[in-house]
Amino acid sequence: MTDSSAPGDVIRLDGVTKTYQAGAVPALADVSLSVAIAEVVAIMGPSGSGKSTLLNLIAGLDRPTSGTVTVAGRRIDTLGEGALARFRARHVGIIFQFFNLLDDLTVEDNVLLPAQLAGASRRAARARADELLVRLGLEQHRNAYPARLSGGQRQRVAIARALVNSPELLLADEPTGALDTATGQEIGHLLRQLNDGGQTLVLVTHDPALAERYAARTVRIVDGQVAAPLAAVAGPAGGRA
Amino acid sequence: MSWLGAVRTAAGGLLRHKVQAVVIGLVLLVSTASATLGLALLATSSAPFNHAFGVQRGADVTVTVDAARASPAELAATRHLAGVTAAAGPFASSTVQVQSGGQPFGQFTLAGRASPGGPVDDVVLTAGHWPNGPGQVVMDTGGAQPGGGLQLGSTLTVTGLPRTAALTVVGFGNSITDTADGWVTPAEIARLRGPGAPASAQLLYRFTQAASFAQIRTDVAEVTRALPAGTVTGAASWLAAADQAEGNGAIMEPFVVAFALIGLAMAVLIVGNVVSGAVVAGYKRIGVLKSVGLSPAQVMVVYLSRVGWPALAGCLAGVVLGNVLAVPVLQGSARAYGVGSQQAPWWASVLALAGMLALTALAALGPALRAGRLSATEAIAAGRAPRPGRGYMVHRVAARLRLPRPIGLGLAAPTARPARTMVTLAAIAFGATAVIFAFGLHSSLNRAAQSQNLSSTVPVQLQPFGPGPGTGPQTPSAAQDAAATAALRAQPGTLHDVPVYLNQVKVPGIAGSANAWVFGGDAGWTGYGIIAGRWYDAPGQVDVNTAFLDQSGLTVGGTATVNTGTAQVTVRIAGEVFDPGSQAELFGSAQTLPGVATAANLQQYDVGLRPGTSVTAYVQALNARLGSNSRWQATTPDDGNFYSIASDLVGLLALMVAVAAGLGVLNTVLMTTRDRVHELGVFKALGMRPGQVLTMVVCWIAGPAVVAAAIAAPAAVALNTATVRAMAGTAHTGVPASFTQVFPPSRLVLLSLAALVIAVGGALLPASWAARARPAVALRAE
Repeated sequence: MTDSSAPGDVIRLDGVTKTYQAGAVPALADVSLSVAIAEVVAIMGPSGSGKSTLLNLIAGLDRPTSGTVTVAGRRIDTLGEGALARFRARHVGIIFQFFNLLDDLTVEDNVLLPAQLAGASRRAARARADELLVRLGLEQHRNAYPARLSGGQRQRVAIARALVNSPELLLADEPTGALDTATGQEIGHLLRQLNDGGQTLVLVTHDPALAERYAARTVRIVDGQVAAPLAAVAGPAGGRA
Repeated sequence: MSWLGAVRTAAGGLLRHKVQAVVIGLVLLVSTASATLGLALLATSSAPFNHAFGVQRGADVTVTVDAARASPAELAATRHLAGVTAAAGPFASSTVQVQSGGQPFGQFTLAGRASPGGPVDDVVLTAGHWPNGPGQVVMDTGGAQPGGGLQLGSTLTVTGLPRTAALTVVGFGNSITDTADGWVTPAEIARLRGPGAPASAQLLYRFTQAASFAQIRTDVAEVTRALPAGTVTGAASWLAAADQAEGNGAIMEPFVVAFALIGLAMAVLIVGNVVSGAVVAGYKRIGVLKSVGLSPAQVMVVYLSRVGWPALAGCLAGVVLGNVLAVPVLQGSARAYGVGSQQAPWWASVLALAGMLALTALAALGPALRAGRLSATEAIAAGRAPRPGRGYMVHRVAARLRLPRPIGLGLAAPTARPARTMVTLAAIAFGATAVIFAFGLHSSLNRAAQSQNLSSTVPVQLQPFGPGPGTGPQTPSAAQDAAATAALRAQPGTLHDVPVYLNQVKVPGIAGSANAWVFGGDAGWTGYGIIAGRWYDAPGQVDVNTAFLDQSGLTVGGTATVNTGTAQVTVRIAGEVFDPGSQAELFGSAQTLPGVATAANLQQYDVGLRPGTSVTAYVQALNARLGSNSRWQATTPDDGNFYSIASDLVGLLALMVAVAAGLGVLNTVLMTTRDRVHELGVFKALGMRPGQVLTMVVCWIAGPAVVAAAIAAPAAVALNTATVRAMAGTAHTGVPASFTQVFPPSRLVLLSLAALVIAVGGALLPASWAARARPAVALRAE
């Protein structure tokens, strides 16, 4: 295992290219990028620009065609599926645009699931889930099923689920994309609070306002390449331009 | 869109769902092969006899009368009795002892007939000519008489007469109902009767009702009542001849039919499941097809074609496989039992093909109609996700169980699609039933084989086939018999030995002759399977087989009059023993059946060994002791071709059904993984490892498999009992209770694991595909 990231980097991509079909235009071409601990980075770009591909590579959900991906000090582009799954369970939390909650599990069981898959003890997992449910204002809904919750509540459940294993890195793919404006702001505030607590966060979003309001740095992807970086905005503590 | 376009669309769907197409094809291959084989066995077991019986106007009953007790007018009057549709005779007859080449050749019933034809029992002359003078005989080729090797011109010597008579074989004929062993001119019979022998004659009848032994007994009673008392001395029915002609293909029918029915039911379930799964999975596609202009009828065609092509391919391959399987089975059966060559009839293939295609069309029609009726918007909106809200309670309970989470998630999953789960459960249950049933039937057949061949109690026999002077089974000399007895007694390892004599005897009501097996000592240790009663233990008692009881109308505890050729004795039937077949057999001591235990009738020595004695070493040592010139040779009993053929066939059919069930599971799991591919992506994104995915997916089917096992175990026990009894019924024998008691609880539990093996075996492939799928790809799926 090679650790090519600089001290303090949670994510480092070097010359990453991703091509889905041989001969086709690459979804990502020679992308290099790093994200520091406790930084909030927004990844923006038009549809089909490659930002979700970038997120998938960082999360270990997919492998690059070439280049290296190092996350939380581990080179993940060379890991097998099993090791990648373990890596995701321990180091990465993922929040999806459409929540991706399991409809036939209660709120509590949804939140517990990643801890159970990671092999956490029942007591420790339950304690952590209880803590998160209280923190995210979901305590009274612990036995409810996702279908009974509002969009904002569902996204908060998804955030609790992503945090249950205390990951170093939280990835959010259009976290407010399926929510109305007010609820979107509510979720934005919540993410910011998490970052205030030291949580590293990568946001994929179409929403410039969300990026501007909550991200310390925005990376623009156009046609699979990193466009010229935008100026850093005054953001949360720990941000690095 | 044109109809051609619809078919092209279906072909496109087919190529995108290769696994489903392969599953449909293979399931129908297996089912059609079973059906073809079953139909072939059914047809070949009964068709040739039935055809010949009709053409040759076979006799339903051959009544033997003492012509001295009734006038010709009284005998002729029986032609007009109620229920008689045709009659022939009386033909004078005589039962004689015959020698050929100086060796005993058996006991034969000869009838005097002026010509082979007539309104009943048209004897087909297969070689030579009909007797037209004294000293000529036509021998029957259809019966199961001992001996053989006769040719035109061979001479038979009739013994036991004041003046020995010689008969020259001038022809061979076939009486479909074995009314006699040979035919001579009517005038010849008087010369063949011993002094004081009754003036026997045959009356041949066809009746309106003669389908069972009971009906035939009623018919015979009617004739008996119409004649003076004591006139009727015996009667033989067509049923015994039919059994002999049909051979053992008929015995296999019950289990082949059982497997074929299981195969058919599974084919309907699995094809229905595949098609409805295709409709459900393709809701969105249906919506799109309709929105671009396909009519409901064209949508139906798309979905029927998607099933139709692989179904047709599977059915055609199944017909070929069924015929290929039928060839060795039928040939083996024919060879083993000398019923001539047998071939699967063409209509069995056509019927199996048409039947399976019709069943497939029926199974596919419902889902295809549903696909046709869905509106475009309904279909697109319905998508392919299972309806939410099902199985909440099960998931909640599973989450609380102290099980690894993937197992809990897997066990709760079947509640999402209860109908699909039920169909899959039924397919597993059918497959497991077939496997458990096959093991049970194999055990039952083993017990039957051991009981029939006595291989566990009589592991060694001495038979007169040693390399002495001459060829063939000639009678050993008295000195050789004595030497054999001495060698047996002197050979270490001998626990029991008994000489066994065989001759044919006449018993009223039994077709032709009954085989009398007479033991020259204690034979209680030989271990014949007792169906009812007990082994004889006193003079005057005999045991008989089921055919004897059926044909004679006697029961255990009753008495029978046995004519051994030298004496007529009355014996009490002590028990019914397992000895299948339509040949009547009785077993008794030399005291009970006088005249049978002669040197000429000595058939073999049965030998029991001390525990721990090696059979092979014993046989070698005994043969060495007997010497190279002895006609007696130690050997091990034949294991029996029929049981070997049947066991192989059972194994093959069970394997085919189990594979079909496994394919059904594979299809279900595959459809479910497609339904849930996005959910699988979520699990993977949350950290579920490939091994955990594999475990979860296999557990989707584990719950239904456990339920299927609980259903399959008792079903297989019941099916085995019913099948063994049906087979025994076809072989005209009862069965000892031990033949069906082959499932001790521990074994049944172990065999029930077959359901889990089928389920896991079927689920592993799609589960491993699911485990290997890239999470990003799965998450992108709709």
